Amino acid sequence: MNKSDLKLIIVIILIAIIILFMVAIFNNNSNKKALIYYDNDLVLTIDLTEKEKKEYFVDGYNGVVKIITEDGKIKVDEEESPLHLCSKQGFIDKTYETIVCLPNKIVIKIVSSKTNDLDTILR
Amino acid sequence: MEIKKISRIAMLLALSVVLNILESFMPLFNGIIPGFKLGLANIVILLVIYIYSFKDALLISLLRVFLVGILRTGLFSMSFFFSLGGAIISVIVMYLAKKFTKLSIIGVSIMGSISHTLGQIIVAIIFYNINMVYYMAWALILALPTGILVGYLTKEIKKTLDLSIKW
Repeated sequence: MNKSDLKLIIVIILIAIIILFMVAIFNNNSNKKALIYYDNDLVLTIDLTEKEKKEYFVDGYNGVVKIITEDGKIKVDEEESPLHLCSKQGFIDKTYETIVCLPNKIVIKIVSSKTNDLDTILR
Repeated sequence: MEIKKISRIAMLLALSVVLNILESFMPLFNGIIPGFKLGLANIVILLVIYIYSFKDALLISLLRVFLVGILRTGLFSMSFFFSLGGAIISVIVMYLAKKFTKLSIIGVSIMGSISHTLGQIIVAIIFYNINMVYYMAWALILALPTGILVGYLTKEIKKTLDLSIKW
């Protein structure tokens, strides 16, 4: 390892910290919604402001995908896939966080209405 | 291409496919960071960039993606395009890093590791419209230990091979 390798490592760590910082700034808890896509089509929108536990069922490519929301967080509870990566990922609760179930072609995104406003202004 | 080179490239290709399949049996940090892998197949690609040329590395990388696609994930599936994007961009970036910067083999390996994830994220954004900014930060941090490991292994392997094989 030489000097330029070390410089590269430092730059990478700085960029990562900046990204995490920006995500923390843009994350806001008002009006959070979870959007669930199957094969790029929006199939379900869940309001994440409710505190109580709720269960949802979405049809995935390999079968039914069970989704649980609780206390403003959302996770995939049960699904049919070889590695079960998306159910092992557990709860997500920040805007810009995603759960991707490649075998089931399901994508879960969290958005908030405030983020959408910002997007339109920037455009 | 002379026969000696063809057979060596075929052997390296087989090695990269085996490493690729092998590491899919050992998921690390399973669930915390989805899809995180060591990138052992990159040892072969890195070695080829240093020993042979950019063209050969790109060839092996593309053939590897197709072969793993046929054998495991399914050709032209969603994960196939993710691997394809990652593979092409990482070979190009590693070649440029080797040619135009003072980075050692470890630094080049880190660049390859990062650009592989970056390629996948670009594919995710372009074709599937998935926002993965949040994922990128963790991918960058995790690319460091795996990139250093792969780079170090490649350096040692190259040292040993240089003694015994005349390329």
